[in-house]
Amino acid sequence: MTAAPTTTAPGVTGTWRFPVATLAAGLFAIAVPQVVGSYYVSVALTLCMWIALTQSWTILSGMAGYISLGHVVFYGLGGYVSVVTWQLLPLWVAIPLAGLAAGLFAAIIGAPVLRVRGPYFVILTFGIAELVKYIVINVEATIAQAGRLMFGTPPVTILFYVMLGLAVGATLLAWSVRRSRLGAGLIAIREDEPAAETIGVPVVRYKTYAYILSAVIPGMVGAVMGLRLTYVEVLQLFNPIISFTIVTMAIIGGSDDARGPVLGAGFLLVLSELLWSSLPQLYMVALGTLLVCFVLFAPNGIVGLLARRGGGRR
Amino acid sequence: MDAFLSGQLLFSALVIGSVYALIGLGLNLVYGTMRLLNIAHGDLMMLGAYTSFWLLSLVGLSPILSLLIAALGASAIGAAAYFGLFRRQIEISGPVEKLEANSLLLFFGLSVVVQNLAALAFTASPRAVPYLDQVFRVGEISMTANRLLTLGVALALCAATVIFLRANIYGLAIKALIQNRDAAKIVGVKVERVQLLSFMLGFGLAGLAGVLLSMTEQISPFMGFPFTIAAFVVIITGGLGNLTGGIIAGFLLGFIEIYGVVLTSQNARSIILYGVFVAILLLRPQGLLGGRRVVR
Amino acid sequence: MTLLVADRISKSFGGVRALNNVSFSVAEGEIVGLMGANGAGKTTLFSVIAGHNRPDIGEVSFDGVRINGLKPDRICRAGIARTFQIVRPFRGLTTLENVATAARFGARPAEKLAEANERALLILEEVGLLDVAHQPAAALTLASQKKLEVAKALATAPRLLLLDEVMAGLTPTEVRAMMTMVLEIRERYGLTLLVIEHVMRALMELSRHIVVLHHGEKIAEGSPAEIADNLDVQAAYLGGGPSAAGAAGT
Repeated sequence: MTAAPTTTAPGVTGTWRFPVATLAAGLFAIAVPQVVGSYYVSVALTLCMWIALTQSWTILSGMAGYISLGHVVFYGLGGYVSVVTWQLLPLWVAIPLAGLAAGLFAAIIGAPVLRVRGPYFVILTFGIAELVKYIVINVEATIAQAGRLMFGTPPVTILFYVMLGLAVGATLLAWSVRRSRLGAGLIAIREDEPAAETIGVPVVRYKTYAYILSAVIPGMVGAVMGLRLTYVEVLQLFNPIISFTIVTMAIIGGSDDARGPVLGAGFLLVLSELLWSSLPQLYMVALGTLLVCFVLFAPNGIVGLLARRGGGRR
Repeated sequence: MDAFLSGQLLFSALVIGSVYALIGLGLNLVYGTMRLLNIAHGDLMMLGAYTSFWLLSLVGLSPILSLLIAALGASAIGAAAYFGLFRRQIEISGPVEKLEANSLLLFFGLSVVVQNLAALAFTASPRAVPYLDQVFRVGEISMTANRLLTLGVALALCAATVIFLRANIYGLAIKALIQNRDAAKIVGVKVERVQLLSFMLGFGLAGLAGVLLSMTEQISPFMGFPFTIAAFVVIITGGLGNLTGGIIAGFLLGFIEIYGVVLTSQNARSIILYGVFVAILLLRPQGLLGGRRVVR
Repeated sequence: MTLLVADRISKSFGGVRALNNVSFSVAEGEIVGLMGANGAGKTTLFSVIAGHNRPDIGEVSFDGVRINGLKPDRICRAGIARTFQIVRPFRGLTTLENVATAARFGARPAEKLAEANERALLILEEVGLLDVAHQPAAALTLASQKKLEVAKALATAPRLLLLDEVMAGLTPTEVRAMMTMVLEIRERYGLTLLVIEHVMRALMELSRHIVVLHHGEKIAEGSPAEIADNLDVQAAYLGGGPSAAGAAGT
């Protein structure tokens, strides 16, 4: 043991190796559309989507320990913004606008929602996502839009590039928050909120920051995915399976390390490629079983298992 | 406004309210004794509904007899879930909130598995075999035998459970555990066995509620979740361990839903349910625990 | 110079009067002991000062500024740190991470992680936890967890340190070591101390000034010798008698 360790938080790898590797992987992935056919581009797009969503989720739920089972609400709001503004606003305005909308929503509901703790917070987030879903459905019904047809949406390659940017951005964001003072405060909140407050962590402000930071990129991800659809129904945009998948990916990968969401997303993507199109329900059964097994036997996910095999980090 | 005051609406509210009271009661038993929020509660109800559906459409067995079979089946699943998933979790020491959140994830995983296994086995398409649905009139009110039966059976089950908890030694042990876990241990309550019993009782009540619903409603593998939410509303409004309070809250929610829909539109039904749910959690952030936590 | 003033503090919890019209003050550099039976209101008074509870009536001011009504994190940043009687380490983090986290917040937050670690290591050495710096806090012994409470509080760079029963449950040897340590850190950091302690000898030895609470009211105040001679205190707290029997179990 040296007297000058470089970590304050579990899972911080210390040096700049991780962000450099992330950027390198991102640059490398730019070549994907040149190398493979459009089917694999859309697979790569999906992978980037899950990485971006899960990384964002860990900022709130991994670091601060407030487990959100309703992250689809940000995705859905973002998707709705981009669908409604399609052909009214250019892409480079609509997507940031979607992120802004999601972040604003988090900022508004953050203070009351984050007063609720533990299991109540978990089901509350789910309830909010469903509530917003039904409100948007009703809004669409009142303006007589049962579903929207989308014409002239951007080609998959363009959307892939945007999503790649979001995945790299979310990964770097999660990594840098974890190393920052904000991250240290959030981890303290997760470990013991009253004790964190006692050593001077501004808990309300920090939780709200985490909530907003974990919402913005999912909003933009939703915006991109909205443009993938040719016929848009609100039910698709606010599908609770998305929230569930995010949680499962984070827990399978390990939410205490920026590598976890990448591993979890990759693992589940393979499973989904094998099962989803042919046997979606079997895929969901597998997802549920995996979640139960990891919560019971490997709460720190694949990253935790690897660390244990490698002799442990501490 | 005539319609608003009609006995017809009152009757509808009572019927749905009695079902909410029943599922709330089951959830309250599991939550009260172990602080576990069973998010799969509505899915047990769904399984009960399918039990009744298949027994009726395949062998013509009356749902009244299915009540018994569904109750036993759901209790068995309760026992399996207790031994397989939760006993270990409860024993692991650690921050209570983390344990509770983890258990919620376990229940959520269980819920997803049960729903999708049901969809694989029974297909996802909604089904219905109405039973005893001939209409008759009592004064102004037209009702069907199955809805009357639902109301009657649900009320009887609620009453029976409350009496069981008052009169039976195991019932008293469950109540003791709900009110003060540590004290209950000290006075010699066999916590293990009582927890198992409340799991079985809670799951069994959910199965029973499902059979009742199958007589009047369309059933599908994914029907359970709104009922889980309704059950949460019921136990949070009624108060932890306050079983009678929960039963009253069940009827209250029935009234809010039926009259809310009349005042707005059928589309608003889900908004009302989830709106009430979110509002209650925000207004009482400590949920059932109530009171304030003192930091010492 | 007076650092902390508590002025006519009252606090009830649903009908139970935990504190009734309690006033006292702490001068800068002093060590003040807070004495009283279980349920006398000592910890409630700490919670009121540290912002975990709001007083119903009364005012707390620190360094001339009113602080009651502020959140605990604001009070910490103003320069008041507390320990918890029932220890609250960040269980998933190592000892060093616990203290370094505190050093990144508090009254003089460390800008950089390296700076926080440096400060934390220094404090760990002073409280005698350096050899367990890299162990998870959950695995420490009770004595070490009590020291960790003190270390975390110190890392927030307080002027006033509230110590809530840091010696309870320790062996006589550990109590001795803790007392020495407390006096050392007080000297080094120029701290003002407000101490709750059940180990009577320790309290008498540490404090220059003692405030006695009974049933939420201040019944005496003075030097340790004066308190030892005070008949009211003996009746209420030390000597038994009818009123002391009533004090138990509140």
